[in-house]
Amino acid sequence: MINSSLIFSQIHRRADIEIKKVFSIENYQLDRVINQNFEDFLSKRLLLIKTNNEKIGYAYLGTAPSQTKYFDYIVLFDKDLVIQSIKILVYREDYGGEIGSKRWLNQFIGKTFFDKFIYRKNVAAISGATISVNSMTDAVNDILSYLKSLKNKGVI
Amino acid sequence: MILNNYIYLLFRIIINNLLMQKIILFVAIVATSISFSQQQDEQLNIAQSQLLNLADLQSGLTIGGYGEINYNDFDSGPSELDVKRLILLFAYKFDDRVSFITEIEYEHVKEVYIEQAWINYALTDNTNIRAGLLLVPMGIINEYHESTTFNGVERPTLDNKIVPTTWREIGMGIAGRIPELSMRYQAYVMNGPLSYNGSYMLKGSNGLRDGRQKGAESQGSDANFAARLDYFGLLGLRLGASYYTGKTQTSDKSIMGSQIGVNMLGFDARYLKNNFSARAQFINAFLSNTEKYNLAGDKDLGSKMGGYYLEAAYNMLPIGAIHRLDLFVRYENLNQHKEVEGQLKKNLALHRKEWTFGVSYHLSRGSVFKIDYQSKSTALETSKAKGQFNMGIGIFF
Repeated sequence: MINSSLIFSQIHRRADIEIKKVFSIENYQLDRVINQNFEDFLSKRLLLIKTNNEKIGYAYLGTAPSQTKYFDYIVLFDKDLVIQSIKILVYREDYGGEIGSKRWLNQFIGKTFFDKFIYRKNVAAISGATISVNSMTDAVNDILSYLKSLKNKGVI
Repeated sequence: MILNNYIYLLFRIIINNLLMQKIILFVAIVATSISFSQQQDEQLNIAQSQLLNLADLQSGLTIGGYGEINYNDFDSGPSELDVKRLILLFAYKFDDRVSFITEIEYEHVKEVYIEQAWINYALTDNTNIRAGLLLVPMGIINEYHESTTFNGVERPTLDNKIVPTTWREIGMGIAGRIPELSMRYQAYVMNGPLSYNGSYMLKGSNGLRDGRQKGAESQGSDANFAARLDYFGLLGLRLGASYYTGKTQTSDKSIMGSQIGVNMLGFDARYLKNNFSARAQFINAFLSNTEKYNLAGDKDLGSKMGGYYLEAAYNMLPIGAIHRLDLFVRYENLNQHKEVEGQLKKNLALHRKEWTFGVSYHLSRGSVFKIDYQSKSTALETSKAKGQFNMGIGIFF
């Protein structure tokens, strides 16, 4: 369990702020999803968010490529696996940084693993940020299909 | 996309994995003596602190590149087949805040240039200080000039005759984003084009183009200023406003009329939705002191030059397919003698009107095959439109 007082890195701090804001809570615990094996956890950082031992949602921390570097993001789901928020935690270059736009990221909110995102169809393009837009879109699709597989296995 | 980063990432994951198993074993042994629940807490704290700490995962060198090979078949005379440009991009990340980016360019196979070379210091996540050989942020193409990012074998003529792409000079400044407002900004103090170097270098038909110094033993007599704002808060649409102000450079300030003042203003828009895409760009350049310059150097530089282009494209293949087949049409209207000073008569041949029709066949996200036909005419009453057929390939990785 991560106690919110133990948040130390920049990424932790920003993830912490986002979790508190989105779920309107002061205190919470993060836990590994039970039955998610360790290899899975290494490559797919899915965490259970609990408050007072009650499940309130999930946090997915990910890394995806931009043009020449990698950026870090967090996706927050409610307990029914509906996307509540996506935030770019750290973006490490100038080009493609447009994907940090709240207006753009809002497109994913309210969606579940029944949705599939297709660039230019139901995900708006950003001229000049094509690589990062595709990268984020692919990442969200991957996360949703991963959640779907966990759900089908009865893990979550 | 970046192979060595993937290998590095993989390597780190393996190391982390091995390390983690040891740490967990160690923690488990220590923790069993305390209590079961605490053991679990400890494990997760260490695991999470490692795993959530993504920031130091990636560093080092990235290699990329882009290029275009073009075939131009004119109405009359021989055709031209040219490896127009081939560029190698190197980006080196010293740490999370400091990186260096450079593009080494081969033009026409045999001319070597440096197209960009700058240090980026990320003051905060969204604010960067950069210094070195920088692109002038004017219009769409100068910053986004990779062949896979625009339609047409050749860049728009506006982005050749008015904005002298690829326009770059040595300078420094600030670049950043405001995610809450969906905006990006840039502002640089830069060296400017050279107008006099023992001889007068600028002429009407090329605008500022022949004055580009490209950071090669460039001469600086007056600092120039360039800025740009981008807004992308309306989904699918990107709007830009660019501004450039200053003076051309001279090797001898005491020579009358060796410098002109430059004020350039540009607006552009790009829209992408489903199979449809469109672009528009308007640029006006106001040049002062051209009367003296033209008299002293026997030149024909206009005092105002500018124009616009409009372009629309439709992808004939289904959205989501790997290939993309954009049919496009572009109309350009630009004039290097919009206004002239003194005795100079407007040269109607410098008022160009050009249509381009063609296809961009994207074989993947980073490779394109292009074919188009251009009809180029001028405001001269006696002029007949000249046709030009182009084919080319473009890559970007």
